[in-house]
Amino acid sequence: MTVEALVLQVMTGLSRAAVLFIVASGLSLVFGAMRIVNIAHGSFYMVGAFVAVTVAGWLGGVIGFVGALLVVPLVVAALGGLIEVGALRRLYGKEHLLQLLATFAFLLIVSDVVRFIYGERPQSLRAPPLLSGATRFGDVFFPRYSLFLMAAAVVIGLSLWLLLSRTGLGRDIRAAVSDPEMLGMVGVNVSRLFTVVFALGAGLAGLGGVLAGPQTTILLGMDIDIIVESFAVVIIGGLGSLVGTAVGAVLVGVTFALGITFIPSAALAIVFVVMVAVLVWRPYGLFGIPQEA
Amino acid sequence: MRGRLTASTGWAIAALVALLAPLLLNERQMFVLMSIVILAVFATSYNVLLGYTGMVSFAHAAYYGIGAYAVTLAWVHLGWSPLAGFLLAPVAAGAIGYVTGLVALRATRLYFSLLTLAIGQLLFLVAFQWRGLTRGDDGIFGMQLPLFLEPATNRYYFLLVLAAIALAILSVAMRSPFGATLRAIRENRDRAGFLGIKVKRYELAAFTLGTAFAGWAGGMYAFFDRGSFPLLLDWTTSADPIFTTLIGGLNSFAGPVIGAVVLGLLQDFVTRNFLYFNVVLGTVLLAIILFMPGGIVEGAHRLAAAGGSRRRRTHPEQPADREQPAAAGTRSKS
Repeated sequence: MTVEALVLQVMTGLSRAAVLFIVASGLSLVFGAMRIVNIAHGSFYMVGAFVAVTVAGWLGGVIGFVGALLVVPLVVAALGGLIEVGALRRLYGKEHLLQLLATFAFLLIVSDVVRFIYGERPQSLRAPPLLSGATRFGDVFFPRYSLFLMAAAVVIGLSLWLLLSRTGLGRDIRAAVSDPEMLGMVGVNVSRLFTVVFALGAGLAGLGGVLAGPQTTILLGMDIDIIVESFAVVIIGGLGSLVGTAVGAVLVGVTFALGITFIPSAALAIVFVVMVAVLVWRPYGLFGIPQEA
Repeated sequence: MRGRLTASTGWAIAALVALLAPLLLNERQMFVLMSIVILAVFATSYNVLLGYTGMVSFAHAAYYGIGAYAVTLAWVHLGWSPLAGFLLAPVAAGAIGYVTGLVALRATRLYFSLLTLAIGQLLFLVAFQWRGLTRGDDGIFGMQLPLFLEPATNRYYFLLVLAAIALAILSVAMRSPFGATLRAIRENRDRAGFLGIKVKRYELAAFTLGTAFAGWAGGMYAFFDRGSFPLLLDWTTSADPIFTTLIGGLNSFAGPVIGAVVLGLLQDFVTRNFLYFNVVLGTVLLAIILFMPGGIVEGAHRLAAAGGSRRRRTHPEQPADREQPAAAGTRSKS
């Protein structure tokens, strides 16, 4: 295998990692602040991708993709907020199993609603011409869209870090991660905070769906695929840790891309072996903090 | 005492209905009934983990699938009769369950659950990718059954006997001191540990017992479908016994069985009339989670209590000190 081909595979892995990071950071955020394992997180990703197809279709042309990028995360965040207010809110303080199962119920409902609206046919989303094709550095051609995805992941990672470390909302979220009960006692409206966090998490998944759109086939079942990969990412990195999610995403994305190249039939299995090995070695993930959950 | 009496009356009626049902049903309905009987064993085996010990595993379907593959692989590769192969099903599933349980139980609670997700998917991928052994995605179908099992009625009674044996064994185990210890662990893991109970050892025993009977149910499935395929092992299949148990009720032995009947009939009815079963199932689950978290069994208890003397509004099977960590800040506001 030539160096160019290897670089290309690593690039493929890193662009997958970029999408995984964006999606999984939402999953990790929701778990960290609310202790909810959101199985419906992949559904937000799928809804994001499908709604992007619709929005891009309405607007058309270059505006279409950009418009979807701006509008869709808000739509998906609103959906997330609705689900939190309508159902999950009633389950705080009950057994975790019930919350987990409630999100599972939403996975089922959303998958059928998407099937009802869009049917079984795969959809596709086109990236604007500016982001298509490849850019040449020396002897190696880099696909432009992959570079764009990586840049997007870095921008979103930095924004999330700024949000968490520099704003009042971020302070409340960090407080919720360590002790939600105390947070309520000092006068923070925990219930509203949770709605915002859940909507933010859903919005990130929706954004991931739009961004992944041009590189994947948009079809039913993509919710299940991404949720398993996202779980692998946050488990390897440590639930609730932003840095951990980034490391986990790169590890899963690149491992999978290289696995596909060298031992195609075992690529996904290798990811799970890594996941089991990390958990056996460090039960709370590479960057996770031991906690009662 | 009265509870015990109504319970045994309930089981007697259920047995009678199960025995006489073939007289009234056509062949299609017989197959629905068979799938219910299998799901009842699968869900009850899962409840050893979930309801009795408080462990949430995403890998349970993997052992169910292993049970089914034990029968079909012994038939394909060793030329065994399915009847002999069936004996392998719980043994193979239990043995693999024991080894993987050792690994998964290095973690607790949520991280245990996530570790089971990884282990279960790993087992799924073995079935999916190891074409030489399992024929991969194509699955193994058309297994030759012994002649006496060809008619649907006979096959149904055969599966019913297997289900009765499994339920009897699990019922005895869960009523024994072993079952009581598991419940103690579920109620308060730390306190059970302080009492000198070797918690991990009991959890591993429960995991092994549960997975062995998941394999038993999977072996039954191989007779039902005359085959096996990788999706049986997938984590989404693990949702079936969880949903079943939730619908019936987590906190009783009969819950998963009742849930299997309700879910099986619901699925049959909905899929024959409507294209979208998931949205119905999701809505039913959500309604149960929000309004009747104890499932049908507890709902019936509550209904009986409301209809009879309105004495105490307590939930005897859900002690107050059931662990409720996290998000506690919102409890006062809700």
